[in-house]
Amino acid sequence: MPSDLDSQIEQLIQCNPISEEQVKRLCIKAREILIEESNVQVVDAPVTICGDIHGQFFDLMELFKIGGTCPETNYIFIGAALPSPTCLVPMNDPGDFVDRGFYSVETFLLLLALKVRYPDRITLIRGNHESRQITQVYGFYDECQRKYGSSNVWRWCCEVFDYLALGAIVDGRVFCVHGGLSPALQAIDQIRTIDRKQEVPHDGAMCDLLWSDPDDITGWGLSPRGAGFLFGADITKTFAHHNAIDLIARAHQLAMEGYKLMFDQTIVTVWSAPNYCYRCGNVASILELDEHLVQEYKVFQHAPSDVRSVPLKRPPADYFL
Amino acid sequence: MDPGLGVDEITPIALLMDELRSEDVQLRLNAIRRVSTIALALGPDRARDELIPFLQDSVDDEDEILLALADELGKSFEEYIGGKEWAHVLLGPLENLSAVEETLVRDKAAESITKIAAVLTSQQVEQHYIPLLNRLSHGEWFTSRTSSAALYAPVYSKVSPAIQEELRKGFAALGSDDTPMVRRAAAKWLGAFAKNLSKQHVLSDGLTIYRRLQADDQDSVRLLTVEDLVVIAQQLSPAEVKEQLLKQIRQSVSDKSWRVRYMAANHFNALSEAVGVQLVREELVNHYVQLLKDNEAEVRTAAAGQIPGFSKLLEPEVVIARIVPFVRDLCQDSSQHVRAALANQITGLAPLLGHGPTIEHLLQLFLHLLKDEFPEVRLNIISKLEQVNEVIGIQLLADNLLPAIVELAEDKSWRVRQAIIEYIPLLATQLGRTFFDEQLANLCMSWLGDTVYSIREAATINLKKLTEVFGVEWARTQIVPKVVNMGSHPNYLYRMTTVQAIGTIAPSLNIEIVSDEIIDALLHLATDPIPNIRFNVAKSLEVVATTYGKTPEGKELAQQKVVPVLEELKTDQDADVRYFAALASQRTLATTVQG
Ligand SMILES: [Mn+2]
Repeated sequence: MPSDLDSQIEQLIQCNPISEEQVKRLCIKAREILIEESNVQVVDAPVTICGDIHGQFFDLMELFKIGGTCPETNYIFIGAALPSPTCLVPMNDPGDFVDRGFYSVETFLLLLALKVRYPDRITLIRGNHESRQITQVYGFYDECQRKYGSSNVWRWCCEVFDYLALGAIVDGRVFCVHGGLSPALQAIDQIRTIDRKQEVPHDGAMCDLLWSDPDDITGWGLSPRGAGFLFGADITKTFAHHNAIDLIARAHQLAMEGYKLMFDQTIVTVWSAPNYCYRCGNVASILELDEHLVQEYKVFQHAPSDVRSVPLKRPPADYFL
Repeated sequence: MDPGLGVDEITPIALLMDELRSEDVQLRLNAIRRVSTIALALGPDRARDELIPFLQDSVDDEDEILLALADELGKSFEEYIGGKEWAHVLLGPLENLSAVEETLVRDKAAESITKIAAVLTSQQVEQHYIPLLNRLSHGEWFTSRTSSAALYAPVYSKVSPAIQEELRKGFAALGSDDTPMVRRAAAKWLGAFAKNLSKQHVLSDGLTIYRRLQADDQDSVRLLTVEDLVVIAQQLSPAEVKEQLLKQIRQSVSDKSWRVRYMAANHFNALSEAVGVQLVREELVNHYVQLLKDNEAEVRTAAAGQIPGFSKLLEPEVVIARIVPFVRDLCQDSSQHVRAALANQITGLAPLLGHGPTIEHLLQLFLHLLKDEFPEVRLNIISKLEQVNEVIGIQLLADNLLPAIVELAEDKSWRVRQAIIEYIPLLATQLGRTFFDEQLANLCMSWLGDTVYSIREAATINLKKLTEVFGVEWARTQIVPKVVNMGSHPNYLYRMTTVQAIGTIAPSLNIEIVSDEIIDALLHLATDPIPNIRFNVAKSLEVVATTYGKTPEGKELAQQKVVPVLEELKTDQDADVRYFAALASQRTLATTVQG
């Protein structure tokens, strides 16, 4: 199995999708591993925490160049390997959209293959995008159809989503979650009682963990996203205090500087998709926690155009039309 | 073919029609993507008589579906309908697709028609293709006329002189169409069409069409004629170019629209080569200089990209007198994109100018660009320095550029740092050991602690290459102690670098150094609290054992020190440590037993 999987990882690193049959076996194996994981997976430092990737495959390769390869470096991906709603807004030049492309299939399958090959070295946490509903509307379903000619791969991936952990806790001190907190939860231990093996519900604790955002308010507020809540500094600090944690590391929101610390450094947004949607102009970051939990944010830019397999430059004739 | 699709069990055409009528776009798209399988199941006769007419009528759909259909019909689809002698049947649906509104669909349809044209006989072309071309060329709606422009070149050489004359007239009509989109298409495809014309017809018809388009009142048409100009110039003698095209060349390079000038700048070398050296020297050099100092940054960027290629056509003195002054100005250009393009090309002037002039005219410019505030400029110049080195020698280059290089070694952009690291072994070879130890040794060690993983990795590879340059005794005193020392750093990233550096360098050292100075440090790290360190120790132990395990001393080292530790690691609490230890142990045994 390892050598077979190693060659699949090699192939995926070249941005070549593996066969449908291989995806099927990979997903079965992934579920066997993930079902054993707890809702809040316990992780040891040192570990490097990454935020949203959104199918920007070549920027994920850039991330590994900065942070180190897996298994040499331990990783937590806090969700959203897949494309997001904003990415579907057409660009100025429709050709750009096709050319630059999204490689969500390759991105997600590579992370999954690494998970299966090195379960103790990489932790995958569920984001709001890792759901049937979102992927069907926002591109991943179409991409699977286009690359495999059927919806099987999408279906198998969705079954894996249901088994992904909802959070992780590093050395008992750093809590990782895709979105944020929930009014239904005071203690991390309460998360452990959720039956997570289901499609993301429209409300409730599980939904909030994947959808909520911190905001400069007091207490709880309604989220403009229509799911999850907004939560303020008081909520965040109380949660950190009650659970004896130093930091909540979450993703889910674009941070132009790659990361954004809030509320006296009790919560950070980590964003790992540089030049989001190939046009936002933001830098990305990863958060390295060393063995003493010292935090170091590594900021990086999007991969240079010559490392992508598809040339970005379009013929000047079309460019002008 | 999909073996699961039995002809007897289903009626494929009905199935396809069902799917093509489905509400779900995805189902319709899938059906189109499988259309060759369905044709195969139907057999050639039914595919021709039922499927093709059906497809011909299904052009009222989403663009995505039409695009897929246009694409599928161009994939040697004639094989499914009875072979090449029936290939013209495919023209029917493609003709309809050539007239739709969406450009992508029309372009794909024209592409597929072009592919089909290649397998048609002259008779098929005259009977089926030419009428299609006439219909499209005279279509009421501009879309079909636009599509037709691409379809002249593929068949011109296949038809009789009389029809060729019609084709030339037809194309000329597109070139003076009322709709700019059609004229644009004519400008885009004129080059391909002109390549098929005889010299006589280039001079009579080709030039006339070109001149009309080149003087068009729309700049989007004019800009496309630059490529036509290159093709036509290639077909004429230098004297004919001078007589027939000089006016147009002058107009294009000084067009009032920057987009036309951009195209001229971007194709300047191709144009220069097509017109011949003499006209370049007496005429084009003046225009080129104008483009180098154009008002628009895009034009200057494009012109800067052509510097060495164009200069190759000039005498070195002319390059110094006419080109270099503007190159100097471009080094100070206000646009970073211009400077980046220049930095990418400027080193290409060194071999053209030779040793003395490079030092006199270019060295200062390199230095200036190395200090540019924009990382891409710095990176571009560093990655091409070897070209300069070949012309002026490393000593001069080092004397002048070393301070700048040392500064760049700490550049904020990690790709700049990486480019410098890759340049170090070459620098070391030429500078010699004393100079290196004084100027660069500390730098090379500092990269081992870089914040970026790729730089730390490149730093270890650099140490290996330096060991190959200066020898193992140098490595023993200059590298090994520092690498080993880092193994007791409180941050695991440094300890990891020690382990990985040992794995990289060990094969370039010798068994004495490995036994005396390295192995104990590595074995000590086998008990590190971090599992990632421990399994990398296993990997590095494997390298040591398999590199040296065949010699008597190496075998002893492997058996006495490496194997016991690997055995220990095979029972580690971490699964990855156990896996890599088992692998290393197995390979160590294989080496030592064989040896
Ligand atoms: Mn999200």
